[in-house]
Amino acid sequence: MRIRGVLIEETFAEAFTMRTARLVVTARSPRWAREAALKLTGFATSVIGCKCEAGIERELDPAETPDGRPGTSVLFMVMARDDLPKRLVERIGQTVLTCPTTACYDGLPDAPDRLAVGSALRHFGDGFQGSKVIGGRRYWRIPVMEGEFVVEESFGMLKCVGGGNFLILAESADAALAAAEAAVDAIAPLPDVILPFPGGVVRSGSKVGSRRSRTMIASTNDAFCPTLRALAPSQLPEGVNSVLEIVINGTAAAPIARAMRAGIDAACRDGVVAISAGNYGGKLGPHHFHLRQVMGEAPA
Amino acid sequence: MSGLTLRLRGALPARTDLGALTADGWHEAGAAAMARRLVLVEGTGAVPAGDLFDVQGTPGTRLVVAGDCALGDRLGARLALGEVVVEGDAGDDAGQAMAGGRLVVRGSAGARAGAAAPGHKKGMTGGELVIHGRAGTGLGAGMRRGLVACGGDIGAGAGTNLIAGTIVTLGALGEGAGRLNRRGSLVAAGGATPFAGYRLAATVQPIWLRLLFLHLARALGLPVRREWIEGHWRRFSGDLTDLGKGELLTWTPS
Repeated sequence: MRIRGVLIEETFAEAFTMRTARLVVTARSPRWAREAALKLTGFATSVIGCKCEAGIERELDPAETPDGRPGTSVLFMVMARDDLPKRLVERIGQTVLTCPTTACYDGLPDAPDRLAVGSALRHFGDGFQGSKVIGGRRYWRIPVMEGEFVVEESFGMLKCVGGGNFLILAESADAALAAAEAAVDAIAPLPDVILPFPGGVVRSGSKVGSRRSRTMIASTNDAFCPTLRALAPSQLPEGVNSVLEIVINGTAAAPIARAMRAGIDAACRDGVVAISAGNYGGKLGPHHFHLRQVMGEAPA
Repeated sequence: MSGLTLRLRGALPARTDLGALTADGWHEAGAAAMARRLVLVEGTGAVPAGDLFDVQGTPGTRLVVAGDCALGDRLGARLALGEVVVEGDAGDDAGQAMAGGRLVVRGSAGARAGAAAPGHKKGMTGGELVIHGRAGTGLGAGMRRGLVACGGDIGAGAGTNLIAGTIVTLGALGEGAGRLNRRGSLVAAGGATPFAGYRLAATVQPIWLRLLFLHLARALGLPVRREWIEGHWRRFSGDLTDLGKGELLTWTPS
């Protein structure tokens, strides 16, 4: 299968079941909503080193938010369900509570699995906090120097999928980056997905474990490193001199497939040799995104 | 939509206790069973509701009372679930000791709406009481939880012994509101004179009031003005002769 001359390799992306929460951060202006969301989702690229993965899902119009102000929707993902409330409490407490004019609401109000978040953060109020039930949802009002920080008492949690991906195999680093940027731009407007890595792009895809250390969980994906072609078994076709990866997490498999389709289509451009994907032989993750099926080819 | 409609056959002959209409199991009652419920007419005694109302519909969690019930007391008393809509005025003690659900009075309500029953400390412990018109004296006295929203002016003594919960009016709040308020919130878009037990804390733009007013507008259909959502509010803390963690918020044109 080729798209505009770019080979779509016959392989698949292997993804995992995770747990997610959606946060709606509002503020006086889009600037401050985004500022809080950027801090909130900082250092959250991979559970391997960051304990969680997070990203901005999209900007919200005032009509879409509980308090009628500009907002930002953020998705948080972890592997173990017990980790999620810890991550939310520490991150909201340090990045949203501290940010001028913000408030923080649950973006999954219908999810039956509830996480105690506002009810933990309220203790910052040192006994001066209070709560209000409005429309069946309880909000904590925590007095702060600026005025009050409002945070919803509980946040919904759902199962989700993390680790959807594709690799852009290009003739040059410039071509790989241009294709990756085009892919990210194509995915950005899509709902229910986030790209947790910087600018949505990963340059350091990893393999499980290490050749030299028993304690390392992951190490460089040498089979896709162009500079190691002469030293280690390579999976790179001739003419490939740079590889970038797009990692996609989503609230379910379908949004990831949709995002992969949009991203791969945008990445198939001059200077790109092939599109591949990262997997572990299908042994670790239950969600398999076969590239050619994602791009519309009927399964064999 | 399932539910019953009770339409007054004529004017109520005297003050009538209609609390039985929303007593236990009201949402499971069919038209005949509801018509058999006994209501108390002052000077006459107990009479079946069917003598006063034409009852139609099927069992459900919505009850509509149509007609002028200005003499009908205790409408929605002890309501715990569902929605009761009074198409006209309601008498005294509407929503007395409500525990949940929503009582909507399209007209005005008499005294002590949402307040405690005689001899009891706690008024509303949950739910929403929405009065589109005016409310009489003693509104929400002894409230523990819940929301009382009033579209018009409120009489004297609202929120006396307020334990917690919220009373909000788009009109003016009568004198002496919030005496012995412990943790409750009184919100007056049309102005209020704080009782002596309150002290001005700050002029603020509370986010929770945005949530509240948007709820009043979107879910409860009250005519909320943009400047109340965006505007500045004077926050008084009180009643400082008691616990003092309550508040009175009055809108201030900036």
